[in-house]
Amino acid sequence: MAKVLMKGCEAIAEAAVRAGCRFFAGYPITPQNEIPEYLSWRLPEVGGVFVQGESEVASVNMVYGAAASGCRAMTSSSGPGISLKAEGISYLSGTGLPAVIVNISRGGPGLGSIQPAQQDYLQATKALGHGGFRAMVFAPATLQEAVDLTYNAWEYAERDRNPVMILMDGCLGAIMELVEFPEMKEPDRKGTKAWDLNRNEGESRNARLLTPYFPEAILELKNTSQKKMIERWAQNDVQVEEFMVEDAEYIVVAYGISARVSKEAILRLREEGHKIGMIRPITLYPFPKESFRKLNYEQIKGFIDVELAIPAQMHDDIELEVKGRAPIYEYCRSGGLLFDDDGVYAAVRKIIDGGAK
Amino acid sequence: MKKSLVISGSGGQGVMSAGIMIAQTAVSAGKYATFLPEYGPEQRGGSAKCTVVVNDDEIISPLMAKCDTLITMNEQSYKKFATSLKSGGILIANTSRVLSEITRDDITVVRVPADDIAVELGSIKCANIILIGALIGADAGIITEEAMLASLEAKFGSKKKEVLDLNRTALAKGIEYGKNAKA
Repeated sequence: MAKVLMKGCEAIAEAAVRAGCRFFAGYPITPQNEIPEYLSWRLPEVGGVFVQGESEVASVNMVYGAAASGCRAMTSSSGPGISLKAEGISYLSGTGLPAVIVNISRGGPGLGSIQPAQQDYLQATKALGHGGFRAMVFAPATLQEAVDLTYNAWEYAERDRNPVMILMDGCLGAIMELVEFPEMKEPDRKGTKAWDLNRNEGESRNARLLTPYFPEAILELKNTSQKKMIERWAQNDVQVEEFMVEDAEYIVVAYGISARVSKEAILRLREEGHKIGMIRPITLYPFPKESFRKLNYEQIKGFIDVELAIPAQMHDDIELEVKGRAPIYEYCRSGGLLFDDDGVYAAVRKIIDGGAK
Repeated sequence: MKKSLVISGSGGQGVMSAGIMIAQTAVSAGKYATFLPEYGPEQRGGSAKCTVVVNDDEIISPLMAKCDTLITMNEQSYKKFATSLKSGGILIANTSRVLSEITRDDITVVRVPADDIAVELGSIKCANIILIGALIGADAGIITEEAMLASLEAKFGSKKKEVLDLNRTALAKGIEYGKNAKA
């Protein structure tokens, strides 16, 4: 299919439809409204169901129900709405149901602002809800990547029987650029039989969904299997872009829109002969630890964490791998203020020239 | 070659629709384009701005500190964004609403009373098309007249013929202003 000029939110919505998503429930919030708006007419076209729920809590629980009936289901929101959905996301993980949760992120905390920000990294990667579960978190930097990651998200969610998050800043949610969509996918219903309660007469009806877990030992088994699951993610599922890191003395660490702006600045700095590279996590969780472990720390003079969040939220994850072997600098904006290539360029130059600490 | 354009004005003036049409036109001509809207919570009357980047190759960053071409549709947006235009760039000012004296002498200035012309032509709604015309006439290197005419045909061709004709006339008017300013 030919490339089309499309808005980020709409591209994610279309990719979900092509991935076989046939149920969406959500509640309006800027800057993600184009996702439900698009699906409100697109899902009925393919025999799917769109519901504008009465609240975020209702919406995520409808997704919970749809997932339990073997349907590929999705909800989307932005910061404050994701907080409201936290209980339902935890229930999805607890019960072992697959679903895709999209967060088109804005400024925070609280109601924050409707403008783009990356203030939800910690929420997404450390605690999407109560109870100590984890979810895979994908962070696209281009709309093509947003399409591809959304298209594959249910493969991970169903494999692991666990929710998956797409975390994308409001800037990429609003931007229009060229994307190419993959073919419509027909999900295999055989794969859903372990949790799909909506089986017909004659079909295998072995699905069992547990919540809550009694006795205690069963819950411990569940927790232990989730621990093994996240260890497998770290082994097998990390996605990362390493850009010009081989000879780099300074390494920018950035994701989403921040990584795109940084890349432009890095190319300029390279032209001036500065040895700068970038590590761009595509999976924020599992975090690309190996990309940091394999570096030659004799050569590295510092890392620069570039984020639309203050304080920088990825800093701790970088520090855990760098282990004090090089300084970690930050260049951040927040509140809906964006940076541009000049800003990142100047910030990195200042660090190289020794003017920043 | 990578070119960036900022269109700014007030909600309801057609800032976003102009930006999308330019991006779409560039894409139809085989280029890469990004369109980034920025606006507040207001439906009308608030500040509206969009950035369009057009390039022969894939666009790495859609956010640029300085733009090559700036269209300002009202006084406020002129005051806010005039300094973000690169030296040697092109400023297209809707002088029906930009009342400040334009003092920068390191840029090409296209003064177009777009609102007045649009009203004369029959609809204030085509003011943004006049300004797109000025962009083409001033040789901003973003889109061509042929590609823009094809876009107008695609957008308005299914509507009444008068609508398409009005927009074609508006585009031609704008091109004239652009050419004269460049000459």
